[in-house]
Amino acid sequence: MFRDARLIAAKDLRIELRSKVTAGQVLPFALLLLVLFAFGLDPDGPTLAAATPGLFWVGVLFVTVLAVERTFSIEGGDGVRDALRLAGLEPGGIFLGKWFALAVQLAVVELVMLGGVVLLYDRELHGIGLLLASSLAATCGIAAAGTLYGVLAAGLRVRETLLPFLLLPVLAPVLIAATRAFESALDGVPSDGWPWFNLLAVFALVYIGIGILTFGSLLEES
Amino acid sequence: MTTPQVPTAPDGTGSPATRVLGIVALAAMALLVYLAFVATPRDATQGDLVRLLYLHPGLAWTAYLACGIATAASIQHLRKRTIGSDLLAHSSVEIGAVMTALTLVTGSVWGRPTWGVWWVWDARLTSTAVLLLLLLGYLALHRIDAPPEVRSRRSAVVGLLLVPNVILVHQSVQWWRTLHQEPTLARRDFDFGASDLMMFTMIYGFVALSLVFSWLLVQRFRVGWLEHQVEEAWLDEAITERRAEALGAEVER
Amino acid sequence: MAYMYLGWGISLAVLALYALSLVARGRRLTKSVPPERRRWTS
Repeated sequence: MFRDARLIAAKDLRIELRSKVTAGQVLPFALLLLVLFAFGLDPDGPTLAAATPGLFWVGVLFVTVLAVERTFSIEGGDGVRDALRLAGLEPGGIFLGKWFALAVQLAVVELVMLGGVVLLYDRELHGIGLLLASSLAATCGIAAAGTLYGVLAAGLRVRETLLPFLLLPVLAPVLIAATRAFESALDGVPSDGWPWFNLLAVFALVYIGIGILTFGSLLEES
Repeated sequence: MTTPQVPTAPDGTGSPATRVLGIVALAAMALLVYLAFVATPRDATQGDLVRLLYLHPGLAWTAYLACGIATAASIQHLRKRTIGSDLLAHSSVEIGAVMTALTLVTGSVWGRPTWGVWWVWDARLTSTAVLLLLLLGYLALHRIDAPPEVRSRRSAVVGLLLVPNVILVHQSVQWWRTLHQEPTLARRDFDFGASDLMMFTMIYGFVALSLVFSWLLVQRFRVGWLEHQVEEAWLDEAITERRAEALGAEVER
Repeated sequence: MAYMYLGWGISLAVLALYALSLVARGRRLTKSVPPERRRWTS
C-alpha cells in the first residue's frame, strides 16, 4: 500500500512541479486574501492583529477548496481514473498518495502565508513549536478530509458548488482548533494550545483512517 | 376492506401497523401539548417561555437519533450495498434535517426574549447549526446527476462520517465556547427545581417526539422505496427501448 | 407570550405539513407502481 502511495504522490507532485498551478495561481490567491483582509479590517487598529490566526486559517480553508478541485480535475480527463483503477493499485495507497501530495502543497502555501503574516501584519512568531505542530496536524486533517470529500464530488457538473458545501462544515473543528492553537502560540501562552493540537491530531487520524478504508468503494464506479 | 380471496395491495404508504403508530404518535403529541400549555404552571423566572423547553430538547434528541441511524445504515450500505440501507440512511437524514432546523428555530425563538437576540454562538446552538449544514450536504450529494449506485455509495460515506463529525464538532465548539462563557449563559435552562410535573413533561417530550420521528421515518422510507421502484421501471423501459432500436436497426441492415 | 406560540406554532405546522406531504407523495407514487412491488418487504 505504501509503495502505491509513493507512486501516486510522486505522480501528483510531479504534475504540480511541471504545471505549477499551485505555485502560479493558488499561492498568489492566498497572498491576495491576506491583502484583502487587511483592506477589510483596518491594519492600524487592533482588529487585524487580534483576528490574524482566524484569518490565516480561513484563508487556508479557501485555498484548500481550490487545491482539492485541482487535485481531482487532473484525474478527470481521458479516463485517467479508469487507468488508475486498472493499474491494480491498492485504493488505500491511492488515497494516501493523493493525501500526501495535497498535504505537501497545502503546507507550502501555509508557509508562504505565515511569511506573509509576519511581513504584512507585522506579527512576531512565538511558540514556534506549537505553531508547527498544530499546522502539521491541521494540514494532515485538512488534506485527508479534502481528498475524501474531493473524490465524493469528483466528476460532477455541480462539483464547484458541492465541494465547498460538503467540505467546509466538516472542517469547522479544524478551523476552531487551529485558530485557538495559533492564538495561544502567538500570544505567548502555548500551554493553552496543546489540547487543541490533540484534537487536530484525532481529526487527522480519523479522516486518514476512514479515507483509506472507504476509498476503494468510491473508486469502483462508473 | 380485505376481500377473502385476494390480499389488498396497499394504495399508499399506510399499513395497519403504521396507522396505529400514527394515531399513537398523534395522541402522544396531543398529550404533550396539553401538558405543556394547560397542566404545567408558568416558570418563576422564565414565565410562559419555559413551555418551549418541553419541545426543544426532544427535537434535538430526534436530530441526533437520526444521525445515529444514518451512520449505522450508511455503514451497512458500504458493506452490503443494499437498497434498503441507502433508503434508511436517506430517510433518516431528511427527517433529521427537519428536526435540526426546528431545533434551531425553537432555540432561537426561546433566546430572543430571554437574551434579547435571535442568535448566540453558544456551544449547543452552534453545534446544531453545523449539524444542519452536514445533513444538508448529505441531501445535496444524494441528488447528484449520477447512477443510483454511485449516488448511494457516495452519500453513504458522508453518512458514515456524520457521527464522527458530530462528535468532533461538538467537542471543538464546546471547548471553544466554554473558554469565554459568561455565567448567565452557562446556567440557562434546566433549573426546574420547582415542579416535578415540569420535569416529567420535558422528559415526556422526548417520548412523544420519538414516536413522531418513528412514524415519519417509516413513511419516508416507504416513499423512498416507491420512488426507487418508479426510477427502476423507467430505467428498465429505457433500456428495453434502446435494445429494440438496436435490434430493429440490425434487422433493417 | 407571542414568542412561545411562534415557536410551537412553527414546529407543529412544519411537522404536520411534512407528514401530509409524505402521505400525499406516497399515494401519488403508489399509482405508478405495480402492486407486487409496492413494499420493501414484498
